[in-house]
Amino acid sequence: MSPIVEGFSALLDPMVLLCIAAGALLGMLVGAFPGVTATMAVALASGFTLSLEPLPGLAVLLTIYVAANFGDRVPAILVNTPGTPASIATTFDGYAMARQGRAGLALTSSAFASAWGTLVGVVLLMVAAIPLSRLALNFGPAEMFALVVFGLTMMIGVSGGRIVKGLMAGGLGLLLGAVGRDPITGTPRFTFGLPELSDGIPFIAAIIGLFGIAEVMNQILVHRRGREAEPIKEFGRWFPRRSDWRTMLKPMAIGSGVGGVVGIVPATGGDIAGILGWDQARRASKRPEEFGKGSLEGITAADTSSNATLGGSVTTTLALGLPGDSVMAVMIGSMVVWGIQPGPSLFANQPDLVYSIAGIMLIATVVALVISVLRMRGVAKLLELPQHFLWAVILVFCMVGTYAVNNSVLDVAVMLVFGLVGLFLKRFGIPPGPVVLGLILGGLAEGNLRRALEIGGPENILTSPIALGLLAVSALALVVPPLRTAWGARRARARAASENTTTPAP
Amino acid sequence: MRSTTFRLTAAALAVTALTAGCADRGGVSEDAADYPSQDITLVVPYDAGGASDLAARTLAARMEDSLGQSIIVENRSGGAGSVGLENLAGRAADGYSIGYLPVETVMLGYQGYDVDPGAYDLVGQMVSVPATIAVPEDSPYETLDDLVEAARSEPGALSVSNSGAGSIWEAATTELGRATETEFQPVPFDGGAPAVTAAVGGQVDAVVAGISETAPAHADGRLRVLALFDSQPSDSLPGVETAAEQGVDVVIGGWGGIGAPAGLPDEVRTKLEEAFSEAADSDEFRTIIADSGNIPVNVPSEEFSEFVDQEHTRFGALLEGQD
Repeated sequence: MSPIVEGFSALLDPMVLLCIAAGALLGMLVGAFPGVTATMAVALASGFTLSLEPLPGLAVLLTIYVAANFGDRVPAILVNTPGTPASIATTFDGYAMARQGRAGLALTSSAFASAWGTLVGVVLLMVAAIPLSRLALNFGPAEMFALVVFGLTMMIGVSGGRIVKGLMAGGLGLLLGAVGRDPITGTPRFTFGLPELSDGIPFIAAIIGLFGIAEVMNQILVHRRGREAEPIKEFGRWFPRRSDWRTMLKPMAIGSGVGGVVGIVPATGGDIAGILGWDQARRASKRPEEFGKGSLEGITAADTSSNATLGGSVTTTLALGLPGDSVMAVMIGSMVVWGIQPGPSLFANQPDLVYSIAGIMLIATVVALVISVLRMRGVAKLLELPQHFLWAVILVFCMVGTYAVNNSVLDVAVMLVFGLVGLFLKRFGIPPGPVVLGLILGGLAEGNLRRALEIGGPENILTSPIALGLLAVSALALVVPPLRTAWGARRARARAASENTTTPAP
Repeated sequence: MRSTTFRLTAAALAVTALTAGCADRGGVSEDAADYPSQDITLVVPYDAGGASDLAARTLAARMEDSLGQSIIVENRSGGAGSVGLENLAGRAADGYSIGYLPVETVMLGYQGYDVDPGAYDLVGQMVSVPATIAVPEDSPYETLDDLVEAARSEPGALSVSNSGAGSIWEAATTELGRATETEFQPVPFDGGAPAVTAAVGGQVDAVVAGISETAPAHADGRLRVLALFDSQPSDSLPGVETAAEQGVDVVIGGWGGIGAPAGLPDEVRTKLEEAFSEAADSDEFRTIIADSGNIPVNVPSEEFSEFVDQEHTRFGALLEGQD
């Protein structure tokens, strides 16, 4: 009991609380600015926090990490541009809700879902850190490959009912994922001799283009002088009603589970978890057809799931000394300099520190939630701008943000090209979600499959129970939905037939 | 014309982006004797937050003290470091653009990138990251000799993870195989941490990685470091012998130094070298590097240039020999 008390009471230092407040404001801003990811913000902030004591330093960095995962929802919902990759899935339903005049409800419920997700993750960190992280260690290349294959089956889910077009988009994403150096031999592929492309298509630039730029260009295209296309001014009601809460309950539970597991797996973060959580909730939903068209369940599941990874990522980092995601990779660097050596001995040597970290994240969540809920009416002001000013502001933000990622003009060019690609997809009704999935998962699938084969040939995969289990689940995920539809159709026909026979002809 | 537009755009964007430094100096002509009279840009060819970035930023902060001007760190990552290195080589040799040069400076030229160590005036080397080879805690191999024997009995069957295709750690694995006249199966991962994890989790037979990445796991007992590929043992790996002490004469690893586009005026060069040496000797720099698990050094320009030449020749033989 005493490490818990000690860990939490260490946070009562006013300096620590001040650092949490500073980190929360910074994180929200950073999140809301497309292109500036939590990873980058933490990396830049760590240049300043190294001179602080460990606890205030951690308070700044961890709070930025948490708060950025609240702030990034705002541009995702209001302008269809993910503030950080973790909010890709937020755009699916969030933006649709905003267009239906339910932006207020989308923002508030997203904030509550995000807060709930973070809390679940932190509880996971406190309760189950060590046993759960042992499990993560069993994930070698073979198991990772199987997990990624399972992820690829989600393409059908995120296609929003347009399966053929969705698969085309997914194929495009997989092809784009092949750009860059071969993961095993290092030979450049499809790079056109540009060294900037040898690490693959710049991901942030691609998603800002696909979602943000494409949306702005589409609005400019459909805009007619005189007949003002309504910008999102209608926020509708802000707070969820009792019936809304009931709707949100199930997707929150699903999102917590999915995000918790994805968070524990090393090197996977909120972007994948958001999409995965959204898709699982859709499968379990009574109204799957609403997903992608402004479903409250969809946005709740996506945001809960992507934030539930935070605790898991910290768990993996602290318990194994391995970065749980890219933000934690940066944070490990600072921790080592502070004399905190992440790894199994941390729990033995400094158990109170683990609770301090959990405590910082809990306070950060509450602060971020309060800021989110209070500040939203301020955000509304931005949207009262005439639409053409708003377009200009969004374009400038997207450009500056994308340039700032790597100080690279090529990234800006990639963003614009993806903007055109996104516009093309939009005009022809092809969903952009599968493109992103293919782009994230294609490279992961290839790298891990080939690594597994290098290590031990096909037996390496075939002898792993975890890998086989995941592959079996993937096969089921592909086969069951069409079968269920077929059964459903047959049953309906049978019912219709029996009704025909029993109903006497008039 | 195009480059003017490009530079103006770049400058405008850089000013707006709070994180970036201004790249355009607007052609201010000045005397080398006044150097430095304005901010200096330090190009780091990796993302912010990594070990190299940390080393460069810490050194830059100390160099500011003696130069009396701000040093702005600019991260230009991508292409295994080639993006930043090419960018640095293309800048003016006026001392206002310097950069962090990693071991990849002498490797990338053989891997299809336009990087040549001759394009830089070397100021000094500040950090050394010797390679280590480690096995999972439950591995049957207790010494480097055990591992080499096992590899000899079935060449290419032992899988050895490393941080990525074309990395220094993959080259070190090849070099070890060559020196012991056998063959290991290098397995490139996506970064140093996943490569080490694969060994901790027993997915691979061994891992070759920098000392800073294996030492913590060795201390915890999750990994057993069999050998250090340096000329002397290290305090952070107590009880671990060097490869040479075990009869395998291989010294290999990563390193990092400061350089500038070739053709620096002499006065500028001297001032940079003095500032570098003072910074690399400072307690703060040495402590931060040592705490991050690497070895702080202070190798002066001439010696460093000779070393880089040797390394360039060595990796030529090692990397081109593979194809």
